[in-house]
Amino acid sequence: MAGHDSGLNEDGDRAATQQIEPPFAPPTARLERNFALADRDIREGRFQRWLALIAGASSALSGLEVTYEHYRGGYSRRIMYTPLVLSSALAASGVAAFVSPRAAKTLLPFVSVMTLADCGIGFYFHVRGIARKPGGWRLPITNMVMGPPVFAPLLFGTSAYLGLIASFLRRSDSPGNGALPLPTHSAHWAHAFVHGHEPIDWRQDLREGRFGGQMALAAAISAALSGFEAWYSHYKNNFRYGVQWTPVVIAPLMSVTALVATRSVRVAHAGLPIVSALAVANGSIGFAYHVRGVLRRPGGARKLVYNIIYGPPIFAPLLFAASGFFGLLASLLRRRRQ
Amino acid sequence: MKAPPLGAFAAPNGEPHMPGPIQRLPRPMRTFAPGEEVDYVVVGVGAGGGVLTQRLARAGFRVIAFDAGPFWDTERDWVSDEQGAHDLYWNEMRITGGDHPLAFGANNSGKGVGGSTVHWASFTPRLHPSDFRIHSNDGVGVDWPIAYDDLRPYYELIERELPVAGPAYYPWGDPHNYPYAPHPLGGVGDALVRGCTNLGIGVVAGGPVAILSGSRADRPHCIYRGFCIQGCKVGAKASTLITHVPDAIANGAEIRANCMVGRIELGVDGRARGVTYFDPAGRERFQPAKAVVVAGYSIETPRLLLNSACSGFENGLANSSDCVGRYLMAQAGNVVLGRFEQPVRMYKAPPAHALTEAFYETDPRRDFARGFAIQTVGPLPIAFAKQMMTAKGAWGWGLRQVMMDYNHWAAFGFLGELLPNAANRVQLAEERDRHGLPVAKITFRLFDNDKKLIAFGKQKTIDVMGAAGAQEVVQEARYAHLVGAARMGSDPRTSVVDGFGRTHDIDNLFVCDGSIMPTQGSANPGLTIMALAARCADYLIAQGASIFTSSRRDTQAPPVRRDLSPPDTAGHGMPRLRSWRSTAPSR
Amino acid sequence: MTMLPRTIEMRPVDPQTGAPVGPLAQPGYYPDFHTLDQQSYWDAKTRAVVIDRVDNVPPIRFFNGQQARTLTAICDRILPQDDRDEAHRIPIVPQIDRRLFEDIGDGYRYEGMPPDPEAFTLGIEAIEQIAQAMHGRDFASLGPPDQEHILRSLHDGTPGAAHDIWLRLPVERFWTLLVTDCVSAYYAHPYAWDEIGFGGPAYPRAYMRLENGEPEPWESEEQRYAWNPPRWSVSGAFEPVGGKEEQPASPSQGGMH
Repeated sequence: MAGHDSGLNEDGDRAATQQIEPPFAPPTARLERNFALADRDIREGRFQRWLALIAGASSALSGLEVTYEHYRGGYSRRIMYTPLVLSSALAASGVAAFVSPRAAKTLLPFVSVMTLADCGIGFYFHVRGIARKPGGWRLPITNMVMGPPVFAPLLFGTSAYLGLIASFLRRSDSPGNGALPLPTHSAHWAHAFVHGHEPIDWRQDLREGRFGGQMALAAAISAALSGFEAWYSHYKNNFRYGVQWTPVVIAPLMSVTALVATRSVRVAHAGLPIVSALAVANGSIGFAYHVRGVLRRPGGARKLVYNIIYGPPIFAPLLFAASGFFGLLASLLRRRRQ
Repeated sequence: MKAPPLGAFAAPNGEPHMPGPIQRLPRPMRTFAPGEEVDYVVVGVGAGGGVLTQRLARAGFRVIAFDAGPFWDTERDWVSDEQGAHDLYWNEMRITGGDHPLAFGANNSGKGVGGSTVHWASFTPRLHPSDFRIHSNDGVGVDWPIAYDDLRPYYELIERELPVAGPAYYPWGDPHNYPYAPHPLGGVGDALVRGCTNLGIGVVAGGPVAILSGSRADRPHCIYRGFCIQGCKVGAKASTLITHVPDAIANGAEIRANCMVGRIELGVDGRARGVTYFDPAGRERFQPAKAVVVAGYSIETPRLLLNSACSGFENGLANSSDCVGRYLMAQAGNVVLGRFEQPVRMYKAPPAHALTEAFYETDPRRDFARGFAIQTVGPLPIAFAKQMMTAKGAWGWGLRQVMMDYNHWAAFGFLGELLPNAANRVQLAEERDRHGLPVAKITFRLFDNDKKLIAFGKQKTIDVMGAAGAQEVVQEARYAHLVGAARMGSDPRTSVVDGFGRTHDIDNLFVCDGSIMPTQGSANPGLTIMALAARCADYLIAQGASIFTSSRRDTQAPPVRRDLSPPDTAGHGMPRLRSWRSTAPSR
Repeated sequence: MTMLPRTIEMRPVDPQTGAPVGPLAQPGYYPDFHTLDQQSYWDAKTRAVVIDRVDNVPPIRFFNGQQARTLTAICDRILPQDDRDEAHRIPIVPQIDRRLFEDIGDGYRYEGMPPDPEAFTLGIEAIEQIAQAMHGRDFASLGPPDQEHILRSLHDGTPGAAHDIWLRLPVERFWTLLVTDCVSAYYAHPYAWDEIGFGGPAYPRAYMRLENGEPEPWESEEQRYAWNPPRWSVSGAFEPVGGKEEQPASPSQGGMH
């Protein structure tokens, strides 16, 4: 245990990294070198800092969305404030985890688990909210479209899931290759399970970046949820523009591809990145369209807040793009050892 | 797909009385024995009577509240149909006359528990601070005996109790925010926002309306079906039937529905001793009370006071000033209709969902005092056909043809402040109703300032409709929102009640509805009536038993009782931001 | 113009081809839209009320046979239904008759107007007198153009005869009452909702496409066709009731605020 004291190891590893990089390399070569390093870090799960930051950023994004979505609901229950608090906390934890390994191993998983629990509670209340609307679940389409967005709490959970994964990862400056990794921080709760021995189990897979399958599954689920949201909100709008069909087509495609990728390495390496890139592009274009849609509403920029709230949801396409990003990540990661 | 998977929606069963799809009334309701004296009799359970009854009951008084109409079971009684909503309105006879006679029927008061709040469109703007001083400011009308700041805490309370959905910043009058978020716009709101924005006129979207934008406790949120003024079966639109009456019953008040009060009886000491009413079977009965509050609408309230004339009060109760029935006010309510190339389908979304008060205040550049508001309205087919009949003179094939374009039209309501005048009044007619009581006769006409205001406001509304992109714009003259006819004032020679609603002439007789308003502003009056009722209740509660025995008149304003709100008021909705207007606390 | 009522074309016409329009089961621009198909989605009370309106046409109890005949002829011109097939015409007179027979009021009466039942009796009598004075025949047997001209004179406030009745029955107020009752019967009927594309009852299922006039999944897009009133008709022109006035003293009364 004492041998894994984080401070010493970090120093040693930093020195090792510097040795790899040749001094006075030309810019392009340095770029290539950096890319290769980043690639290796991702494959080996040495990107805790960046994944934590990504989790934090996507949490901030969902936080903004839930802020105005719950504002639409008048914050009619006090519990509707919890996703605000937790998304802010998760965003802050993401940043903290980027800076501090200690935060990455303590704060980040704690807040992530709390958020996941809140997502479950939110999902329950949203299902119940639809049931309490006139007609309840007997009018599923109308009431899902006009009631609380039923899958939004689950989508909100994606960033918490990323945060949780990040807490298991190694940092790019953590101890060398090949060694059997223990939780680097002595306070990590996983110690309670590993008892100082390092069985080859899912935690190790995670730490070594061997969770391409899981990531693909996350991408599949979030694309499906996001696609469903796109379907019903564009359906609500009667598909006024042909382009509104694109996320509805791409999302299931991406979802299925990612699902197959959990089984097939070939699909994970060939099909998934293409579809994922398509989703990222589509989400980005959708974001632009949604911003344009907000500005073209009655009152336009002069009723900006109102139009953001009731116009096309401007963050929704970004969340779809995020699922594409997960797909890309999944395609880069190693897979669980057989 | 013609039927839901589980078959057609069936009638509710089990629950004996439902005020909403998931709301339940407290049971059993307390009933007082026949002839048992109570503390308060409240006549009329509408905006004013509903709030007052709830607060008096919560403070521990023994209260019976009468209403001439039924105690609605919304799931079984109400329909999602324009013609079928006929019974919500006061359909007993009234005679209307004068140079500009007012139309009644679906237009104004309700009959049944909840009163007109069951069929209001529920626009709930506040009055502006200037409304309380229009004589001082503009030399027209009369000042109120109270100021905006006296009413402000009650506005804030009622906005939370209903609750009101509206913008996060309401810029006119005393700027404030609302506890629930604004609603999404329908086609008419889009037109109003677009038209106003194109002309550089400020406009707010999605409220203020007393319709839930998020579900609260046992009331679901709005489903945007557009039948607000046919009675909200959803329970999203606030009415005292669902917001205050259930809590009144839970606190021991008795609601005596289908009972028409015919007279207020005086004792030999010149104090009210109770009311004579007609029970559901039409039998005349007497209900003794230590004090009586009349809250029957601006027509039936003066009618009841006039019908209660007796020895010593030959001209009607509380009428030593000859002001009972006088200074009746309606707001100009011209409807401006515009036809658009693209369909609008204005039957969707609540009729009330966007407005501008940019023209509310007196503008010295105009040739008239006071101002107006422009609001969305959403007439359903029958109302729209009537509007086409008057606005376009349509009939025959022309009517059929323009009606086929129903989905292309949008409608705005212009809401203009008409000034009080003694000649606009409620009197008793020769004709009698089914109980043998003389019916009300209403005389109404416009005066110079009113006509100028209407001409200007009508044109401005037409301009906005044009700026929204309408190809054809027509309008029809209408009036809305009756208030006044038992106005409050400091001087007993020129007013009926004091600043708390107590009649100048009779110490234990109060008026608590829109009839006490001395002027009306160009805000829809519902919220103000409720705020006045809550203030009246605080006064009665603070005065305690002295109301029942003493003739001493305490003019001290009561402390604001924030603890008397119905349950589910706290803990829901967004916090109130401080008032933007810098004034000293009211006390 | 006054001759041969049986040979004139009663139906509206297509302005391009001049061909008559109808008779149709469902005139209007929403041929695929039928509100009654949606009745399973309505609450039980509303369904009962609307179905009753369609299925149970009330009998004539207030008017006598002659009055009913005249009023039917009047209503056939105030809301002509010649483009509808027989099975899909909307009964108007039975609804007016029921209202008057059951003494269902709207809660007010203009000073100087008799009560509604009397107003209708007097008004029908006055219209008959005009028909007799101008054409020497009863109103119902006149050709539609003549009927329209008589009604047009009421609309304009210039009836050609029966002045003693119009002294007791202000003609503009009677016209408003008459047309109001006609539209209240016609546009309360699901067939009329189908014609104008109104969604009909909306509880518990309501609307989700609030803006831009988008139809709900169960509504349909507008399919416009051009049509003009029959050539002889004068009711297609839009002119103010009773001439122009700054603030006419005859507001209609659809509650709206």
